[in-house]
Amino acid sequence: MSIFSFFRSAPKASAVQAKERLQIVMAHERVGRSGPDYLPMLQQELLAVIAKYVDIDANKVEVKLDRGGDCSTLEVNIELPGREQIRKPADAKPAEQPANGEDKTTPAKATAGALTNGGVSKRR
Amino acid sequence: MGKIIVMTSGKGGVGKTTSSAAFATGLALRGFKTVVIDFDVGLRNLDLVMGCERRVVFDFINVINGEARLNQALIKDKRVDNLYILPTSQTRDKDALTKEGVERILDELQKEFDYIVCDSPAGIERGALMSLYFADHAVIVTNPEVSSVRDSDRILGVLNSKSRRAEQGLEPVTQQLLLTRYDPERVEKGEMLKVDDVLEILAIPLLGVIPESQAVLRASNIGMPVILDENSNAGQAYLDAVGRFLGEDVEHRFTKVEKKGLFSRLLRRTA
Repeated sequence: MSIFSFFRSAPKASAVQAKERLQIVMAHERVGRSGPDYLPMLQQELLAVIAKYVDIDANKVEVKLDRGGDCSTLEVNIELPGREQIRKPADAKPAEQPANGEDKTTPAKATAGALTNGGVSKRR
Repeated sequence: MGKIIVMTSGKGGVGKTTSSAAFATGLALRGFKTVVIDFDVGLRNLDLVMGCERRVVFDFINVINGEARLNQALIKDKRVDNLYILPTSQTRDKDALTKEGVERILDELQKEFDYIVCDSPAGIERGALMSLYFADHAVIVTNPEVSSVRDSDRILGVLNSKSRRAEQGLEPVTQQLLLTRYDPERVEKGEMLKVDDVLEILAIPLLGVIPESQAVLRASNIGMPVILDENSNAGQAYLDAVGRFLGEDVEHRFTKVEKKGLFSRLLRRTA
């Protein structure tokens, strides 16, 4: 302890941080314990909808989650193909699709959704 | 091809998760692309020790079941480059760990990573067996205490008979001892088994001795691998152990009682 420590605000004690971290993570786990593990299903359904309109590479889907005390954020990043590859909704017939996979142009990265407090996140 | 390391002990509470987190972080600090996997299905804790518990989306079991892709389940560490965490499921049970599933994931990881550190659960049931089955190297985490030493001996027997290398008659899994929670003062008083006692009984090479240290609890409180606390004895001992693992000749420290002078008492508050 130096005398300087009187003048700066003390960093949060590690035990306080431990308690806060546990409260956040356990609150989420206790809620999740009753229901099914919905994230895989949510992801599959989201992708199925988007795939109706756009060719997407399943390897270029990034799902991020940040659990917070008050709200959580689910972030789904889907890399979309170049503009000419996005089919118009009117032509969107998943079964009969012309072979347009040859000329893959520069993919445009798009953030499909950052859902905050919306359907996915939980407020407590 | 990446190497697979299992941190195992048989007994619970001896420091497998602490050591897995520290060791994986140490390998990544040396520039090796490293992933640390939690095999304790249903009792996930590596995420807390690594401080990424709020970022878990998908897990090891989701990947085994094809519900998510591997790169979606891997969590990149925010502090250390080249370090990734693969958390386990908190809701499923250990039957979700199939040998085929684990093998498929490890094969995929071996193509991309230099080291794969498997954090074994306690016991010798499915989770522990799956975590050691594919290992190339085993680090036996042991406390200088009778039940821990006996359980370590038991797990050495399992490694020698039930690992893939044993079953296929390949070169055996290398085995090294990591003696944790070592208290030189109690050893000096004759209250604790000495390093040499444990080595004599288990008869495997010594990878490192981690001293009992308050830094370990502090680090897990804040979700930071203790190896990143470079001022602590425990952090330094883990850094040494990683060096030895990589084949360096590093002298053992923290195995004798330190004679504390007035200055070191004033300057060094932490054990």
